[in-house]
Order: sequence, then structure tokens, then C-alpha cells
Amino acid sequence: MLFSAPVPPTLTTFAPTPSTISFTVSTRPLSSTLPAKLSNRLSLVLKALLGILAIVALFTKYRLQTSKSTALLSFVLGCTLEHKLCAALRDVSWKYVLPSAVAVLYLVIHRGYTEESLLALRSLGLQTRTSSRTYLTPATTRFIPMTSIQDIFIHEAFKGFEVRFYLAVVVRGEEDVVVVFPKLMPRREVLEEVWRGARACLYEGAEEGKGG
Amino acid sequence: MPYNIAMVSDFFFPQPGGVESHIYQLSSKLIDRGHKVIIITHAYAGRTGVRYLTNGLKVYHVPFFVIYRETTFPTVFSFFPIFRNIVIRERIEIVHGHGSLSSFCIEAILHARTMGLRAVFTDHSLFGFADAGSILTNKLLKFALSDVDHVICVSHTCKENTVLRASLDPLMVSVIPNAVVAENFRPLSYSSHRSAPGPPPRISPQDTITVVVISRLFYNKGTDLLIAAIPRILASHPNVCFIIAGSGPKAIDLEQMIERNVLQDRVEMLGPVRHEEVRDVMVRGHIYLHPSLTEAFGTVIVEAASCGLYVVCTRVGGIPEVLPTHMTEFAKPEEDDIVEATGRAIRALRAGKVRTELFHNQVKQMYSWTDVAQRTERVYDGIMGELSHDQFYQGVGVSGAWSATRGRAGMQSFALIERLKRYYGCGIWAGKLFCLCVIVDYLLYVCLEMFAPRSRIDICRNWPTKDIRDGKEKDPGLPKDDKERKETNARRVDSHYHDHD
Repeated sequence: MLFSAPVPPTLTTFAPTPSTISFTVSTRPLSSTLPAKLSNRLSLVLKALLGILAIVALFTKYRLQTSKSTALLSFVLGCTLEHKLCAALRDVSWKYVLPSAVAVLYLVIHRGYTEESLLALRSLGLQTRTSSRTYLTPATTRFIPMTSIQDIFIHEAFKGFEVRFYLAVVVRGEEDVVVVFPKLMPRREVLEEVWRGARACLYEGAEEGKGG
Repeated sequence: MPYNIAMVSDFFFPQPGGVESHIYQLSSKLIDRGHKVIIITHAYAGRTGVRYLTNGLKVYHVPFFVIYRETTFPTVFSFFPIFRNIVIRERIEIVHGHGSLSSFCIEAILHARTMGLRAVFTDHSLFGFADAGSILTNKLLKFALSDVDHVICVSHTCKENTVLRASLDPLMVSVIPNAVVAENFRPLSYSSHRSAPGPPPRISPQDTITVVVISRLFYNKGTDLLIAAIPRILASHPNVCFIIAGSGPKAIDLEQMIERNVLQDRVEMLGPVRHEEVRDVMVRGHIYLHPSLTEAFGTVIVEAASCGLYVVCTRVGGIPEVLPTHMTEFAKPEEDDIVEATGRAIRALRAGKVRTELFHNQVKQMYSWTDVAQRTERVYDGIMGELSHDQFYQGVGVSGAWSATRGRAGMQSFALIERLKRYYGCGIWAGKLFCLCVIVDYLLYVCLEMFAPRSRIDICRNWPTKDIRDGKEKDPGLPKDDKERKETNARRVDSHYHDHD
């Protein structure tokens, strides 16, 4: 992206104990009201159903193609539904079934949002996490142990046609810094909050000793 | 009133040079006066991104020729999105460009005017009018300066040159000379406490007089004159030797001359020297020879005089304005006259007629960057409307009344049609082409406002400034990260910058 995204990511802070704090920035829309929550659940169910339908369609088409029995379907769906499905799929050629099924599957497993988080654990270290593009692949995480964290700072850099702020961790013995939230690149206010929180969590004792 | 100023130039550190150190010194003095200054330049090898220098001077090294996904745009406009972003995030009010050969600076002035900012331009060099290259450069300069609020030149000769080249109204051109950091150019035997000057030092005919030449060895620096003059000077004056520092394409000719005349023991060639070593070379000599063919200001002769050297220089460009006559021996830019002038200088030193030991304090009083910053600030006050028209132009071109200068000098209107009028006058074809450029620039600006609105651009925090009077930080709410950032960046800032503190 040459310019920053139109929808700014939201920050959620979760601090279960004084020595643990997690910051999550996400482009997922917040659903706090009941209708929003309901529609959220509904869309999830719908997605799952659509996915199953696509797989079933592919399976049926394959069985029909190779003239094998579709008895498994009639066992699951019942006889009438199986007949209807078979009749529908028999007329449609592969070149329509396959692309549309793949498209539906892609939409189903595609994560519509990006979520990145920073977890700070006192005397243990930091963990950065970036969500993957699909629901099936795991998120990218990186743990930086306390002993190799040299510094955490906010700085600016050129990105596309812009100058953006970024939060970075200097890791001992590494050439490059680790950029926290590399995909979303949140605004300065968000970064400052995370920076303060993470430092307070990691170095609270030391900071007080220094006199802040 | 403090302003937010962006200095834009292609020329900045780590590349050494006069314009570079001018920008650095002026910026740090302006920061001392309470302004906020940032520098926008292009990325150099190993120097990219955003950096802080001493005193909280922020430098943007724009990665210019590599655009995201290898997309290339026509160069005139490709700088605009990044420039606009920087200007908005730093809340810039005045854009100050340096150096007429810097395309960055010319583009920045155009974009700044499109964005409704005040623009100032400083010219550091002289140009001819006759050859094809000059004609092209002059047209480009005319384009850039058609719509600028004020122009600063480093000498009166430079002002004359710029006014002619860009057909400007002389009223909107100020002369603010360069300066030197006198502390960095102290003579060898210099005590800070003042004592009554003793009898002038005499150099007896048996003592060796050393002539120092420090310049890049190029044609325009007069190296050919030097090559012709050195054997004749050395032949007619025993006990004289030369030290030549600098590098360039003419170095080989110089070496050939030394070998042809077997002068190895009397001419020492040092090769390139760093700017901070210049003083150590200078104090080894008694006379500084400057055979340049063209020079807008000639900072190096001020540095030489500050080191207590008697200066022999050619009477070209802005050089005669730079030093008072008792410090210099002028020559016409020709071989015979340079030999003659150097001879005069050697005789004057042997007779003890020149008080070179007093030069340092005199130069220190004449040139200071604080003074340059003050005078530049006055220009800013004038274009921002802080000073009234009468005050700024000292009664010339009375505001309100009709005068030939109205519409050029004074507050420049931001209205597009007014700007187009100014550009249209640049020439039959060029005027139309420039108008087209301005219109495209304006459309690009409108597009950027739509697709990258201001609300999505983060505003930078200012560097914490200390009030000198009570020593308290002005901005107590500032987070510690700035301090920490300074520490992490301190590693990256070259020792080069610390020399100028």
C-alpha cells in the first residue's frame, strides 16, 4: 500500500496480572452491541455452511464423473436431497463447478482482517504475533527473551509515499531491529500507549530505581 | 515568533561542501533562536531514513529514485506525495531551498507554493549566460523563482547574477553572506585573552614563507593559473614553498608541472583533506593563494584569514566583498598578475607591514552564524507578514501605492490564477509549459488531499527545547522516548557533525 489504510486499526489492551500485558491491534470491526454480535455469529455459521456445501458439491461431482455410487450422500442428506443434488450437478460441467467451488472455499477460509499483537511478560520477554491471511495457516509469532532485548523505541521511517511511525525492539546480536505491528503500522497515539505499557511492564522495577 | 522551517536541498552531509555546512550551521543557529528546523535531502549510501543530529535537527533522507514497486513517475511530481506528508506531519510554514542546481529544492518550492506555504530560496553559486548548459539552468531557475516569496544571495555579485538570470525584482532579493565558525579556525599561537598588540612580526629573508592552496583542483577553481604561476613565483623568490591540498581532475597536471620543474622539495601535495583538517593545514602557512576563476562567496578565504594568513586572491565574483583590503592582495585572473600579487604579498610579509596576528579577532567580529541566522529570521518575518511591507523593504515600493515592484516583491498571493500569471511570463513556449506543470501539480495536490487526507497523517512531536533563560523544559508532557531515541541515534550520528557544535 502506498498510503495508509482508510480504516484505522483498533487497540485492545488486556492485562490479566500486573506483570503481563498484551496489546492487540486489529482491523476487525468491533462488535459490542447485541445485533452486531448476532450478525457476527450468523456470518460465521453461514461461512461454515458455504464451505461444507462447496466440498459436498466437489465430492458429488467427482463421484458422478467416475460413475461411482453416491450412497454416502443419501446416508447423510437423505434420498430426495441426494437426487436433487445429483440432478443439478450432472448438467453442470467441471469448468463451472471447480472455479466456483474454489472461489467459495477461498472466501470461507480467507481472514477478512489482520490482527497483530504484542505480549509483554515481566522477566521473561516479549512476543510479537501477526495473524495469517487464512484461518487454516498458523499466525507468525516471535518470542524475544528478556536477556536479548536491548531497547524498545518509536522511530520514523519512509514507507511507500509516507513517513510512518513504528515501534521497534532492538535485539542483542542482530543487525536489524524487530518491528512490532509490521503490517498494520498503527498511528502514533496507539504506538505511544503500547510503548509506555510495554516498558512499564518489562522494566517497572528498574525504571523506579532510575527515578523514571 | 517561532516558525517551522524546512530546509530543502540535494546537498547535505555526509557529502562535504560549502552549501552543506551553510545549511547545517544556519539550521542549528535558527534552532537556538527557538525555531523548529528540519532538513529534507535525498538518501546517500548508508544514510537513509529519518535521523536526528546535534541540537535536535531532524534530517529526512528521502529514498528518492526508488519508488514503491519500481513504479517511476516523471521526476517533477514524484517527490510531491512524500514532500506533502513531511510538510504536514512537521507542520511546516516556510520552505527554504538551497542551491540552484538542486532539483530537489526547485521541486520543493513549486510544491510548497501549491500547498500554500511561504518559500525562500538561497542561491550559492554564480552562472554564466552564454553556453547551452547555463541557458537551460537559467530557464529552470526562472521557473522555480517565478513564484517564490524571497530570495537570499550570499554576496552582492551573486545577487546581481541571480536577478539577471531569473529576471527577479531586486527588492525581493536579500544579501546574507556566509559565515565561518571562527573557533574552528584559530591561528597557531592564539590566546583567548586579549593583550595589547606587540610589534608586527617580521619574517627575515632567511625564513621560509609557506604559501597554502586548498581547493578542489578543477578548471573553475583556477588550477591552470596555479600551474602556470608556481614555477615563476618559486624562481623569483628563494625561501618560499607551497603546500597544495585538494583533489580533482587537474591534480595530474599539477604533478607534471612539479616533475618538469623539479620542485618536489618546494611544493608539497597533500591530496584531499577533510574539512576539520583544513585548519591544521592552513596554520602551516603564511599566505593563502586563491586563484579561482569564479566564486560566489569564497568561504575558504575567510577561513584562511581567520587562521591568520595573508590572502592573495583573484578579483572575481563575490570575492572583493568578502574581506577588507588590508587582509588581501588582489590580482586579475591571469598568470602575470597572480605572480606579481604573490610577490607583493611576500614582500609585505618580509617587511612586517601586515598584522596577520590580528586577523582572527577581526574576522570573528565580521562573520558569525548567529548574525546570519538573525538576518535570515528577518526575511522570514518579512514574508510571513510579521514585519510590515514598509519595514521590510525600508519604504521602497510603498504598499498600497502603485509601483513597478508590486506583485513581485512583498506578499505573494496563493491564488492559482495569480500564480499562473507569474509563470506565464517566463517565455513564449516555456511559459505555457510551466503553466501546464503548475496545473498538473495543483491537480495532484487535490488528488492527494482526497486519497491521503490530512487526518490520516500523524503529527510529529517537537524536539524538547530548553529555555535558555530559566533552563526549564518548555514541554513537560513530552515522553521519555525522545530522550531514548536520542541515545539510540547518537551512535549513528557521525563525529563529523559534532565538530560544528
